[in-house]
Amino acid sequence: MSVENLKILVCDDSLFVRKKITNVLRNCGVTELYEAADGEQAVEMYNKYAPDLVLMDIVMPRMSGVEALKLILADDPKAKVVMASSVGTQENLKEAINAGAFDFLQKPISDTQLETLVRKVGK
Amino acid sequence: MFTQLFGNYLLNKGLVTSSQLSAALAAAKQTRAKLGVLAINAGYMDAAQVDEVHSEQQRVDKRFGDIAVDKGYLSAGQVEELLSKQGHAHLALGQALVDSGAMSNTSFADALSAYKSENSLTDVDFDDKTGNKVDELIAKLYSFGNDENSSMCTEYVSLLFKNLIRFIGDDFTPLAPEKIPSARVSYCAKQDMKALGFSCTTAIDAAEQAFIAFASRFAGEQLTDVDEMTEAANLEFMNLHNGLFAVNLSNDEGREVSLLPPVALKNDTIDGPVYRISVVYPFGTASFYITA
Repeated sequence: MSVENLKILVCDDSLFVRKKITNVLRNCGVTELYEAADGEQAVEMYNKYAPDLVLMDIVMPRMSGVEALKLILADDPKAKVVMASSVGTQENLKEAINAGAFDFLQKPISDTQLETLVRKVGK
Repeated sequence: MFTQLFGNYLLNKGLVTSSQLSAALAAAKQTRAKLGVLAINAGYMDAAQVDEVHSEQQRVDKRFGDIAVDKGYLSAGQVEELLSKQGHAHLALGQALVDSGAMSNTSFADALSAYKSENSLTDVDFDDKTGNKVDELIAKLYSFGNDENSSMCTEYVSLLFKNLIRFIGDDFTPLAPEKIPSARVSYCAKQDMKALGFSCTTAIDAAEQAFIAFASRFAGEQLTDVDEMTEAANLEFMNLHNGLFAVNLSNDEGREVSLLPPVALKNDTIDGPVYRISVVYPFGTASFYITA
């Protein structure tokens, strides 16, 4: 699948982070982008749009990113969910990987990191 | 970081005003320390000799180094040695202060000498890339009492300054910390942190225009109002900084810190006691809070 055909869901409670990430993804050629502001919304949108990739923050109101990850994987064990957090502690990393995260990115996420990730998923 | 700490020293000693320092910090980016300041720093010339050479330059069309050699203040080898040095950033700040007239060569020479002496600093320390000397200076300036979490507060402030340089800009002067019973905030992004045995509130607060300017620098785009985007940018700065602090604490001390989602406040109060650490940027003052 080419990068242009990827569907990506960006889940972060920060409007600022969502805007930054979606801008970079658009510059990479991704056109189908969805945004969620908390874990609950992310699960709903995943079920509705079945994206090829989810970028998921961890610390969010209502439902954390790890809880959302678990719910998404329960329905779709092949889901590619990349956790993106400013709190890349060993414990968070371990919890995310154990829960089935595809990868873990420590914030601030560089444009290059996002481009590399998108190319990897788009292969 | 030596530049910001030297600026703090000059301000605390009343040798410069906040506005003179802000202007000099902005100018220092395009300023390189000249031979006179480098010679003072190296201890090769005193301020009076530098002033004398500058006066001579008004009358004779000769370079500073040539006149200094003619007068026997410097050897040709010393001129070469000084010119080959880039000069540390705090010297560029000194040069900018002298150029703007905020300090004379004499007051700068005296301040630099006193600063080095009071902090047992040598030129080798200014080359220190490990950050240990900077941490030491910050620990001396930012003491948070004797409670068990005081060293953690110092580490928090040390990382804050590094993150300000990394994400906002290095043209700031940190002010001395204050412990206050509670904090009245105007435009604020607040985040709570929890770990085994402690919890605390952290925040950034600023007046409207400074809040917008801070967010603009972090976002890398010009924001004009305190809207959702401005708030989100400052909330994310706190989240990012606190996240990096949590990572350091986890890696270095095995302490796991969890962060709560940051929230925006306006004209509110943060219950204390709370430490306020203000930094002065050319666009205004940003105050950071961490509950004691």
